[in-house]
Amino acid sequence: MTRLPRSSALRIDTDRRLRFSWCGSARAGYEGDTVASALWSSGVRTFGRSFEYHRPRGLYDLEGEGASQLVSIDGVPNQSAGTTLLREGMAVAAQNVRGDPRSDAFGFLDRLDRWMPAGFYYRVFHRPHAAAHFVHNRMRAMAGLGILDVSTSGDPGRREEIFLNADVAVIGGGAAGMRAALAAAGAGTRVCLFERRPWLGGHLDWRLGLEGADGPDSPRARGRALAEHVGSDARIRVFTSAPVTGIWGENLVTGFQRVGAADPFVERHWECRARTIVVATGALERPLVFNHNDRPGVMQADTAWRLARTYGVSPGAVVVFSAGDDLALEAALDLLSLGVDVPAIADSRPEGQDPELVSRIAESGAELLTGWAASQVVGRRVVRGVQLAEIGGSTRREFPCDVVVANAGRQPDIGALSCAGARFRHSTHTGSFELASLPSDVFAAGRVLGLTDSVEIEATGTLAGLEAASACGASVSGTLAAARAEVAEGAGAPPGTGIVRGPDIGEGRKAFLDYDEDGTWKNAVQCAALGFDVPELAKRFGNFGLGPGQYRVPGQNVAMAMAEIEGRPASDVASTTVRPPIIPPSLATLAGPNHDVHKRTPLHEDQAARGGVFRRAGAWKRARYFSADYTCREEIRNVRENVGLLDSSPLGKFRIWGPHALHALQRVYISDMRKATRGRCKYSAMCNDTGNVVDDGVVIPVGEDDYYFTTSSNRAGSTVEWFRYHTRYDGWDYNLLNLTDALASINLAGPEARAVLERVTDADLSNDAFPYLGYRVIPVGDGVEARCMRLGFVGELSYELHVGASYAQYAWDLLWDAGAELGIRPFGLEAQYCMRAEKGHVIIGAESEQRVTLLDIGMGWLWDRSDTASKKVGAPALRACEEQDGRLELVGLRIDDAGHRPEDGAIVVDGDRIAGYVCTTRVSGALGYQYGLALVEEGFAVEGTTLSIYEHLRSDDVRTSATVVPPHFYDPKGERLRV
Amino acid sequence: MSVFRPGFLELGRLWETKPLERNYEVVIVGGGIHGLATAYYLAKEHGIRDVAVLEREYIGFGGSGRNTAIVRANQRTQENVRLYDEGLKLWPVLTDELDFNLMFYNCGNLNLAHSEAAVSSFRLAINTANFYGVRSELLDPQQCKEVVPALDISDRPKHPIQAGMYHPPGGVVRHDAVVWGLAKGASAHGVAIHQGVGVEGIDVDGGRITGVRTSEGRIGCDKLGIMAGGYGTAVCAMLDIELPVNPLTIQAMVTQPLKPFLHHVVSSGAYHVYANQTLKGEIATGAHMDPQVNYTTDVTAYYFKHQAEALTDFMPCLKDVRFLRIWAGLADMTPDMAPILDGNFAYDGLYLDVGWGYFGFKSGPITGKYMADFIAREEAPEILRPFALRRFLENRYMGETATAMKYGQWD
Amino acid sequence: MTFRLTCPVCGPRDVYEFRYGGPERGPRPDQEDLDPEAHFRWAQFRMTRPEAQEEWWYHAGGCGVWFSTVRNPATNREETS
Repeated sequence: MTRLPRSSALRIDTDRRLRFSWCGSARAGYEGDTVASALWSSGVRTFGRSFEYHRPRGLYDLEGEGASQLVSIDGVPNQSAGTTLLREGMAVAAQNVRGDPRSDAFGFLDRLDRWMPAGFYYRVFHRPHAAAHFVHNRMRAMAGLGILDVSTSGDPGRREEIFLNADVAVIGGGAAGMRAALAAAGAGTRVCLFERRPWLGGHLDWRLGLEGADGPDSPRARGRALAEHVGSDARIRVFTSAPVTGIWGENLVTGFQRVGAADPFVERHWECRARTIVVATGALERPLVFNHNDRPGVMQADTAWRLARTYGVSPGAVVVFSAGDDLALEAALDLLSLGVDVPAIADSRPEGQDPELVSRIAESGAELLTGWAASQVVGRRVVRGVQLAEIGGSTRREFPCDVVVANAGRQPDIGALSCAGARFRHSTHTGSFELASLPSDVFAAGRVLGLTDSVEIEATGTLAGLEAASACGASVSGTLAAARAEVAEGAGAPPGTGIVRGPDIGEGRKAFLDYDEDGTWKNAVQCAALGFDVPELAKRFGNFGLGPGQYRVPGQNVAMAMAEIEGRPASDVASTTVRPPIIPPSLATLAGPNHDVHKRTPLHEDQAARGGVFRRAGAWKRARYFSADYTCREEIRNVRENVGLLDSSPLGKFRIWGPHALHALQRVYISDMRKATRGRCKYSAMCNDTGNVVDDGVVIPVGEDDYYFTTSSNRAGSTVEWFRYHTRYDGWDYNLLNLTDALASINLAGPEARAVLERVTDADLSNDAFPYLGYRVIPVGDGVEARCMRLGFVGELSYELHVGASYAQYAWDLLWDAGAELGIRPFGLEAQYCMRAEKGHVIIGAESEQRVTLLDIGMGWLWDRSDTASKKVGAPALRACEEQDGRLELVGLRIDDAGHRPEDGAIVVDGDRIAGYVCTTRVSGALGYQYGLALVEEGFAVEGTTLSIYEHLRSDDVRTSATVVPPHFYDPKGERLRV
Repeated sequence: MSVFRPGFLELGRLWETKPLERNYEVVIVGGGIHGLATAYYLAKEHGIRDVAVLEREYIGFGGSGRNTAIVRANQRTQENVRLYDEGLKLWPVLTDELDFNLMFYNCGNLNLAHSEAAVSSFRLAINTANFYGVRSELLDPQQCKEVVPALDISDRPKHPIQAGMYHPPGGVVRHDAVVWGLAKGASAHGVAIHQGVGVEGIDVDGGRITGVRTSEGRIGCDKLGIMAGGYGTAVCAMLDIELPVNPLTIQAMVTQPLKPFLHHVVSSGAYHVYANQTLKGEIATGAHMDPQVNYTTDVTAYYFKHQAEALTDFMPCLKDVRFLRIWAGLADMTPDMAPILDGNFAYDGLYLDVGWGYFGFKSGPITGKYMADFIAREEAPEILRPFALRRFLENRYMGETATAMKYGQWD
Repeated sequence: MTFRLTCPVCGPRDVYEFRYGGPERGPRPDQEDLDPEAHFRWAQFRMTRPEAQEEWWYHAGGCGVWFSTVRNPATNREETS
């Protein structure tokens, strides 16, 4: 692992050696290395095997642009070797490999490509049908890249999420992005700058200038100077190692940030709502399509360059270039200056190279072949040489080498701009996409505009920063005009190569357009022949651009290739839409802390201590059981015989008051609410516009135009919304206050309820003074005010006490102590559920659903049908359905077979059709038989009808029968409530 | 019979491109699965070959190319179970007929319940399915774990798993393949498929449909099928027809490809998630719908994050996996989660297939088969009758969802 | 996309703070002699054209006001007149 001579661009610390393993063998690198640079430096050439053909793949790019450089790290699949920093002790392994990645047992698949044309699997394997499943499973087993351990629960490191606001969000910390940030900050706006690499500087960071001397005028020195300015400007908040995942409309920019060991978190998710955005994401290398262009040893120009300068790793002993832009020529010169042997540099551009680069190459002794490009790689497993050919000519030459640097020029990195809604068109001048339109408040600068001149790049950065600041209202009139003038003077984007494939590639059987899913030039030709001539269809049928690299590799090559294959003009090349994420984030980081957000009642801990088993119920966690016996036999018996306590705090509690409070109540409740009287609970229901019951509860007048009312727990959160919605046109004057969380609710139920309550209050609780359905405000204990209702949901004498939430524990303790000798026990939601079912009290959602109205479930007595003036919600639907036949109706069931009780969800059948279903069944200790509630078709709802019930239980068909009875089982006359 | 057949190496167009005629017996609006299937069966089973399918973008652009790819028949009500069951049994038949591998992967579906109420609703669905001979079983958490080892069945998740509904006949079908296979089959039977032809208006005369106005001029027809998925409401609006349908955006995403570890479709109502592993190894997952009506396919950061929260909560092994791509399609939601299949109701010659919500894929070919019958005979086949629009004017909902609506069908 | 709505009380806020209340349908019809079909059409039937429509939103994650605004289903954006 010898490295190239030290240079100032180096980002590794050669004093800090890190050990790691590659496929089980020991390797070493340095602090600052990425996994990719460390692997390459330690002689690893084959990083893994390709998706379909199992071809060997190596280090093509250093930015995580494709699947080739995905490896498994410490058992975690699909990690980007190019962007993951090396850590001590890492276990790195190749993916999609059987055995050694250099020899892989499935390597033979590469020779079967003739039998695997584009989309071949759609046209074979489906006959005979019996074999199809087998073949499908074999194909599945071959697919995929990394192996996930399903027993893992993921990286235990903590994630955080931060939510930022900025005037200007700058994406990209290269020269253009930094100039934009400085200009915007200089105009007084607040800037967030996001850079995916661990440092600012972009391309400048590894360019030491043509002298290779890193003098004060070198690009690298310029980059570091700009970075210092940015770092010292308090109005710019800099995020490095912070890739952007998406721009989601109205300038919401999201991303994540990889952080170092000094940070308490392993990674963070960030979201930035910006007023304006400057995109300076630079350019990507557009791959050159030639035969075996995927061999380990074929790489991007920046990859070779950065290996050498950023990591001090020689890309190879002999490097041949097939370049498409001046940066690649500069890279070749820089490698030469480091002593790397570069015998030949093909440049697919016949002309237009920077003359200074050309003359320096001539001086270096390397051979420059303009109008040439690579046509084929030599070497079966790794690069042994390359054949270069004259474009449009017949001359070919072969050069032995171990690395081929190839590109077809650069393409703007359109990811962020495309997500933001920018549109692109193909330019025959640059041979690439160019910006056609930008959304308002989004600006672009630098190489993403196709620019290559460093002065122009910085000028567009400044201009974009000023425009962004101006859009935020900053006063920049003078500087803006000057910046515009400077940009206008620039030469603009230089011409590009416009080519996709190298010369002389034949049918392109092994010339890859898409490395990720092994899509070749030949496959693109096949797609066109099959009629998939729309690029979006070709993309789907031939699998181009859908792999881990998404839009980067193959980038715009697919669209250009399809146009060329079909003989359409280059101007007809359609740009594809980039879908987020631009850089893939891990689910753990996206999920962040992922708190289990729920509400707890003030009595939660007390109930937990008493053995409560909690379940999520809407926004709350509530005690459902108080023992391991989920039939709750004891809980129920104790309420029926003694007395029980239920924490019903999530019950909706509201106060409505004002001159039009009664109007509002009349609108949403189905009953005549004028009949509500002080000191008494009026029970009613709310319907929706189709007559379904959506809520029920009690309403109590407590003052002049002043009412207290309750709703079901699930509706508490939407009650204010419901009232306001249904009265939004009326201009009524009323106030509505949600007291649900402010007041706790304790339900004291059972024959001894009065005896218990009497011990904690001075109020007169006698049946005359406080009758059934009465409402009193009573003092409990030391004078805590309790709103007390005498109700009977569970069918026993019971009191519901609403007290301030902070007094809940006090009141609960009082009742508990008072009831100790009377057998008081807690009961949970399931016991309540059973006892109310015995009473035939409907629970919305359990015995009602969208097919049944208030009338169908036997609650029609609540409806004030004479009232049309209030325009009650639901009344028209009830009127429409009142006389309809064939509707479902709620009935009681007495289950005949004492042996088997059908469970909730059993169906009522009539011959070969279904005539209804069983909502709830339970066995009742109090009744001594099994009972239930069911929704059945009208014809089956007649008392005394025998219903045939079907269930599928543990693979068996089970049939039972039940008799229709009135849906009021326990104490049908309600005597126990009125004692 | 050989698995490898040399014919697949011959490369000819799967479907023909034909000149656009000025008149057709039947015009179908929408080149998705429903439209193509209807055209295919019209030509194949009813001998009506003078059929044009008009697609504004490219075939499969809409919901057909943007769906869960999940197929199943464990619906809540008997009317729906019958239709979906026939649909499920059609996939192998269709694969054979079309001579195109639709890649029906009969892996079974596991739906998770996280509350006692959800378990009861599973029992109802299971009993209904089995009563009609459709296999579906209730599993306890341990059995769920045996089926899908990636599940966390402890008490730790926000919504601990209480039971599962396992439905072996279900699975996944490659959605794009269905579009292409149906296009191939329809074209072979003489149907004209026109991509890039958008309908801009509909002509009527004396209560009869007479033709459509398109981006390529007027096209006359005797019968018109509106089978435009999420855009169906917009097409109906051209005739001033109001519907109890809201087009909503539904989002989905895939992860990076992994070696197979999830061998079934998993879904959970409480988490609002479905997930399955594609043939390529990606975990395809989704289900979030934005509530406001719209015709965009916008994706949101909110949901992208939410999905990661949900998935990693009950399948924590996915924490280190990365999302690769998010996209969206339209779901045309009705208040009872069942479609509207109707004909000759507002104008003679008008046939409507709309309101599938997110069930449009699994039922596509079977609906096409019966809609073709409807169009050819001008009388609704018995199995489609419960799906007529009238039910909403009589307040007789089908009950595919139990939930009563709030202000409208979006909530 | 994650667009914003302008609450008349709180100003522009993320759309996920709001609950959608459907397009403007006019006040609740008089119930005297109301034809059932007319009622169900009013309550459930909609004409969603891909053009700007007036609709109702509730600021559930904020001040709790119902307000009407103009949004275009073709663009998913609020349009200010």
